[in-house]
Amino acid sequence: MSTFIQYTLSGLAIGGIYALVALGFHIMWTAAKAVNFAHGDTLMIGAVLAVLGVDAGLPLWLACLLGVAAGALFGILLERFAVRPFTGGTTSIGWMLTTIAVGIMIESLATMQFGGFSRPLPSPGVEKAVHIMGAGIYPQELLIPLVAILAMVGLKFMQKHTLVGRAMQAVAHDKRAAALMGINVNRIVAFSFGLAALFGAAAGILVAPVIQVSATMGTLLGLKGFAVAIIGGITSAPGVVIAGLLFGVMEKFVEGYISTAAREIIGFSSMILVLLVFPQGLFGKREVLKV
Amino acid sequence: MRHLTSLGFVVFAAILVAVPLTAGNEYELRLFMLFLIYGVIAVGLNVLVGLTGLVSLGQAGLFALGSYTGAILAVRLGFDMLSASIGAAVVSGAFGVLLAYPTVRVRGVYLAVVTIAFGIIVENVAIEWQSLTGGTTGLSSIPRPNIFGYRISGFAFYGVLAVTLFLATLATYNLKRSRYGRAMLAVSQSETAARALGVNATAVRTLAFVVASVTAGIAGSFYAFLNSYISPDIFTFADSVRFLLMVILGGAASTFGPVIGAYILTYLPEFLQQFQLWQKFAYGALLLVVMFALPRGIVGTLWMLVQRLNPEKREADPAEGISAEQSLRHDVRDGEAELVARDLTVRFGGLTALSKASLRVKPGEVHALIGPNGAGKSTFVNTISGFYKPTEGEFELDGIQLTGKRSHEIARIGLARTFQNTELFGELTVLENVLVGYQQRLTYGIADALLRTPRLRREERESRRAAIGLLTFVGLDAYANEQARFLPFGLQRRLEIARALAAKPRLLLLDEPAAGLTTQEIDALEEMIRRIAALGISVLLIEHHVELIMAVADTVTVLDYGQVIASDTPAIVQEDPRVIEAYFGASLDAAKTEDVA
Repeated sequence: MSTFIQYTLSGLAIGGIYALVALGFHIMWTAAKAVNFAHGDTLMIGAVLAVLGVDAGLPLWLACLLGVAAGALFGILLERFAVRPFTGGTTSIGWMLTTIAVGIMIESLATMQFGGFSRPLPSPGVEKAVHIMGAGIYPQELLIPLVAILAMVGLKFMQKHTLVGRAMQAVAHDKRAAALMGINVNRIVAFSFGLAALFGAAAGILVAPVIQVSATMGTLLGLKGFAVAIIGGITSAPGVVIAGLLFGVMEKFVEGYISTAAREIIGFSSMILVLLVFPQGLFGKREVLKV
Repeated sequence: MRHLTSLGFVVFAAILVAVPLTAGNEYELRLFMLFLIYGVIAVGLNVLVGLTGLVSLGQAGLFALGSYTGAILAVRLGFDMLSASIGAAVVSGAFGVLLAYPTVRVRGVYLAVVTIAFGIIVENVAIEWQSLTGGTTGLSSIPRPNIFGYRISGFAFYGVLAVTLFLATLATYNLKRSRYGRAMLAVSQSETAARALGVNATAVRTLAFVVASVTAGIAGSFYAFLNSYISPDIFTFADSVRFLLMVILGGAASTFGPVIGAYILTYLPEFLQQFQLWQKFAYGALLLVVMFALPRGIVGTLWMLVQRLNPEKREADPAEGISAEQSLRHDVRDGEAELVARDLTVRFGGLTALSKASLRVKPGEVHALIGPNGAGKSTFVNTISGFYKPTEGEFELDGIQLTGKRSHEIARIGLARTFQNTELFGELTVLENVLVGYQQRLTYGIADALLRTPRLRREERESRRAAIGLLTFVGLDAYANEQARFLPFGLQRRLEIARALAAKPRLLLLDEPAAGLTTQEIDALEEMIRRIAALGISVLLIEHHVELIMAVADTVTVLDYGQVIASDTPAIVQEDPRVIEAYFGASLDAAKTEDVA
């Protein structure tokens, strides 16, 4: 029983990270029908800058804030200079490759700056484990899935009740009509990429005390976040969050009962299987082709 | 231009023969053989990236799969190099289908993610399945290259690799010039239009990925024999990026670009090794620079310069064409087509766009469908051409049930359409656009395409003649070799008609063909519709332009709020009070009566 609780709780923790990353992909996709393929690196940027900030003697909260802000800025700049020049074309090769290229460059720069090794980020959330029905877990880990759910609810709230949120929905629905209604579409898309990257950087900082911080920490988390977005349905915010949490729990069980290698095999195979059976993801809506 | 490519193949062959004769030592030759292997991957990947515009970031995974399959067949089952490589090709191809089919029918972008994931799956399976793959220690003791049990020398192995790359390049060049290549280009530029012309977009994209998978698999098997040792960590994500960069740097969609890209990126790491940590950064930077400064790649850019200096003739020779009357004539027993739609209802969420709409296009007539904005005309058109699924109701063409069929299937049954907002294949030439329309009438298969058989040449020649005839029919023969996106708007509309006709439809659906045209152009359109009807093709015309409808239509059906409110000859419909009300609101008399009541 305690193993069961243990796997579920730590699964929800890592799943919350996937959910936050997938939420970012959802935001970018609905805004621009394009995504940042270096999105995983926003996690790394947030976490690495937080660690460097603490190194420089900043208080933890300020270092984290700086990390999140830098991540968001990265998202905005990337949209402006690597995505926007290519979104007009008929194929998606352009923005895919430019964002991948930037990701490679950022990662190798970070390796040179940060060194090729891993470091922890200190946090009050990992000082002492709590025990729930025999399972030991850090408060930090309990916090992560809550943040993911809050982020999703907050996003929904923003889309319903604020001007910028409604503008985001209008842009997602029809760019041209939104522009004719006086919405600055470019600014909304930039905002969306910034918001997505902000979620990414926050996820990086949240997970940093639990796993270690390294220059390459974002690659696999980013990829799994995208896999989760595909599984949950990239058009549905609640869908990707639910899928993220489930995916995390599933991973922990497979890892615990079989092996780490099996975790990757089964995780990614399940994505392909879901695509085969539910092309739009578990909770996604089919986008009506406008002819 | 074609001579230039032929010359390219001669030079390429000469280089492949000359290199081993001049190689200074074994290491040099080995590195060149590595380039040949990478070249095979790049040439195959080019079909996916250059023609269909999709990206794979998992070629290293397929390369690894091929490597392991080849090695396992040779070590455990004693296959020789050739049969092991064929086995590798088959296995990689099968996984290509498995990966591509579920993915590309949803979103092309997903393919990049799925392929990265596949790379990780392969790596982990190789680690985990120790009894078969040797786990993390890998597979050593792969036999020396051998054919039918006879060991072959290093030079003979070089010969096998050189011939493989040469043939792979030639085969993809042939593929590009066949109907498969054209379909791939068409799907990448407008999936909607391609589907409406009978092209199965999912199948075409899957085929492109399978080509890329099979070549990566073969290359992988050869690599295993070249290296005689493989392990899971040889095949990394960085390699996948490098393979992709080979295609982009050399020139996606060009014939020799990927080969040149592979050459540069085989030798560049040797050079970059001195920079150590900066090596990865340099890859990223190179990719970024190419995307912004040289998006067509080296060969693509050179090719563009050549074309600018030595432009092709813009017009086609009308004498080469077969007249439209001849190429579009249907057998008498086919008769003329009748479209029947019964009680079609289409709902989008809570909105009912079409409510129990019934319509019958009688054989051989010009039938106009009109209605105020938002009446459901476009919904009707998109439903009967298979882009929307009706919530209720059914429709058929000459008794063939079309309900539930997909758009490309409906197109193949004989319904062709044009689009309100023109959907041309912008970067194809005017003539090629029409050739895509002719696609479904060709019968040659993939083997004919790769080998460029006489059957292919005959059919291609015929389709070209028919296409030129159709361009003459709509008055575009003078623009045959112009890129479609450079045509003025009015001519783009005519090109859409020619392209739709090339499919030899029995029913032609014109979606607001007069929108945006000048008065003279509308007169020409009117005359063209008459000529099309005279060919025995039934026409369903969706239009706002009343004069045009009154002039050409035999029957007019009026839609309002998703319902058919009238259907009769133009003269009668014009007088129908409900139609007048739909367009102008209630008449004065009617309004007065209501007041009194």
